[in-house]
Amino acid sequence: MIYRCLAAIAAACCLTPLALSAQRPPVTPPKPKPAAADTGGMPGMQDHDHTRMQGQGMPIPMPEGMVMMPGLMGLRPNVTPFLPGGGIDPKTLPPARPTGVVRLDDGDTLDLTATLVRRTINGHEFAMYGYNEQVPGPLIRVVENATITVRFHNRIDLPSSVHWHGVRLENRFDGTVGVTQDAVPSGGSFVYRVHFPDAGVYWYHPHVREDIEQAMGLFGNVLVASRETGYYSPVNREETLVLDDLMVNGDSLVPFGREGPDFALMGRVGNVLMINAEPRHDMRVKRGEVVRFNLTNVSSSRTWNLAFGGAPIKVVASDISRFEREELVPSVVLAPAERYVVEVRFEKPGRYAIVNAIQAINHFIGEFEPQVDTVGIVTVDSAPAAPDYSQQFATLRKNTAVTRDVDRYRKYFERAPDKTIRLTVATSGLPLATVQFMNVDTAYFAPVEWVDGMPDMNWLSTHTQVRWILRDEETGKENMDIDWRAPVGSVVKLRIFNDPKSFHPMQHPIHLHGQRMLVIARDGVRTKNLVWKDTSLIPVGSTVDLLIDASNPGAWMLHCHIAEHLGTGMMTVLHVDVPGEGVGRDNGRHH
Amino acid sequence: MSHPHRILIAAALAAAVSVSGPFDIVLLPTARVPGATGHARLVFAPSPFGIAVTADGRARYDAQVTISGLPDPASLGAYRAYVAWAVSSDLSNWHRLGTITNGTSTVGSAELNKFLFVITVEADSSPPRQGGPVVLRGASPSTWLQSFLSHPLFRGIPPG
Repeated sequence: MIYRCLAAIAAACCLTPLALSAQRPPVTPPKPKPAAADTGGMPGMQDHDHTRMQGQGMPIPMPEGMVMMPGLMGLRPNVTPFLPGGGIDPKTLPPARPTGVVRLDDGDTLDLTATLVRRTINGHEFAMYGYNEQVPGPLIRVVENATITVRFHNRIDLPSSVHWHGVRLENRFDGTVGVTQDAVPSGGSFVYRVHFPDAGVYWYHPHVREDIEQAMGLFGNVLVASRETGYYSPVNREETLVLDDLMVNGDSLVPFGREGPDFALMGRVGNVLMINAEPRHDMRVKRGEVVRFNLTNVSSSRTWNLAFGGAPIKVVASDISRFEREELVPSVVLAPAERYVVEVRFEKPGRYAIVNAIQAINHFIGEFEPQVDTVGIVTVDSAPAAPDYSQQFATLRKNTAVTRDVDRYRKYFERAPDKTIRLTVATSGLPLATVQFMNVDTAYFAPVEWVDGMPDMNWLSTHTQVRWILRDEETGKENMDIDWRAPVGSVVKLRIFNDPKSFHPMQHPIHLHGQRMLVIARDGVRTKNLVWKDTSLIPVGSTVDLLIDASNPGAWMLHCHIAEHLGTGMMTVLHVDVPGEGVGRDNGRHH
Repeated sequence: MSHPHRILIAAALAAAVSVSGPFDIVLLPTARVPGATGHARLVFAPSPFGIAVTADGRARYDAQVTISGLPDPASLGAYRAYVAWAVSSDLSNWHRLGTITNGTSTVGSAELNKFLFVITVEADSSPPRQGGPVVLRGASPSTWLQSFLSHPLFRGIPPG
């Protein structure tokens, strides 16, 4: 009924295409596919049926029961459609291979080549990207304090670079196009020297047009092993899972904007959820087996809530360190770019579904709707695991080394913020129907939107209409105009407020390059169990205090890791200056 | 639904009118405590992640409740404590959050997508179920999700 009201109003208001023009070729009608409805017997959970999101004749996949608003029908984003390969027949491309492990010692060299590859997803072949013809790219394993050389070769049809996410490396090798280096043109190369000072789970990806290149397959992990014996508890096996999603409409990918991002309001939230680039990740383990999962969310916009069929989950570490103390959790929440190390014990024989379980919002009827997507099944055999690590799993360790390290920074916790940033957005030229709907719908906005409940409006919003903003509360300056400097060796307290009264409030995973930081408080509540991070989720309406250990000189970007938000301006630079040298080692690229 | 329940829901939704953010709840008094005022601020329960949620993705909130003007519970009858509850919209599910007093108390955790925030006066500080009368009530900001039809844009549109 509400939708009919909207339709009536849209018609009454004579909503017509404004600045938008039809530039997109016709989209092939979708082919229905069978639903995957296997939650491994998880009580109370039923799989979300994405088969009804596969187009239904729409240019983009729409949620079940929803059609495009009449005022938006016939509109197209004001960008030129772009897909990797420019219409190349995927059959002419090499197939993407599963990830291979590359173990590198200090001083070793790796050639990393970005190319077009053929990926087959749910029976459909697509031209996409991969590193060394692998998706995810090679899993690089090094030991802390190693330095490796990576010779990057760009053989895709866009300029690119490689950013070493979370690594406190030398600034000129950070891979940030426009700040630390120029983009590597198609056919070009760039040599990175990457030093890994901290144990943990890291990842690499382009730092130009992430909305296309990362979404199309350019991502990979780096596992940095500690030199400390017993850094983690013993486990029976280790699995590295890369969480991602992809937007597929029938048998086609939804094109990107050549000039800049579309889906600029919420970012591109895919309708095919994947682990390690496949819609299904099945495992077989033994009874009682303890598995350490290294988790990375490489999605452009989606925040995940991952669970393992009710099996107990122990959270051990995150981006750049272990937690002060291990905790048992019911599920693992990962914002884009975050990493978590968790251990899971599969105690009894049976099937455990790996699920993303969230509460979607139906904006038309104003209700929450639970959604469960099964992305894999862990089958537990009756044969017992050996060795038996049940005792070690039951022990929640306190990592005193982390606490001792954090203790050196506690004296800064209570001081006034050195910098306060407001997260907001400015828009212009959006379709009238979108503006009217948003004015109504933002009476309430969830702290975290797990899915895109308004994909038609989101799709039509582009980089020319939406500008996401980091605003310095002291100076009023925004994004790259903010002049933010700190001496090397200093500690910076950054307060971030996510304005709930903006035109389109949304959560933002804020990432700081090249440094480490502590999330010391959320909404005035002191964090009890600290961990060193490089990415922090800032929910709508929240105020989050970050303490930055500004130990690494150079020009380091701070930005939202929703690819479309970054692509529409939501970034600034922290200059960590060397005394006597004025500007830090930022290669003179940004002043 | 009984008449008192209708009144409770209506009052709670009215309180939500002045909500200023996704975490704020204004509490309105009943006739038993006309001098009482208060508000509740939802904060995520402790979690190693950026937010706290249940396994199926519902937010887990603690509530920082700030109250003034509540009389001694005993002055209202055979009561000893004020207790905060998260209550489902159909009033079928009452989840006890904890006891509150004048000043600021933190109670938790509420795990419903939409809920009424209700304070009762009780004979026991940890009653297994609500037994005493309601003295203050409000609603979670998420109850605004049903508010389309109250917007001027939609007034005058007949139900479909």
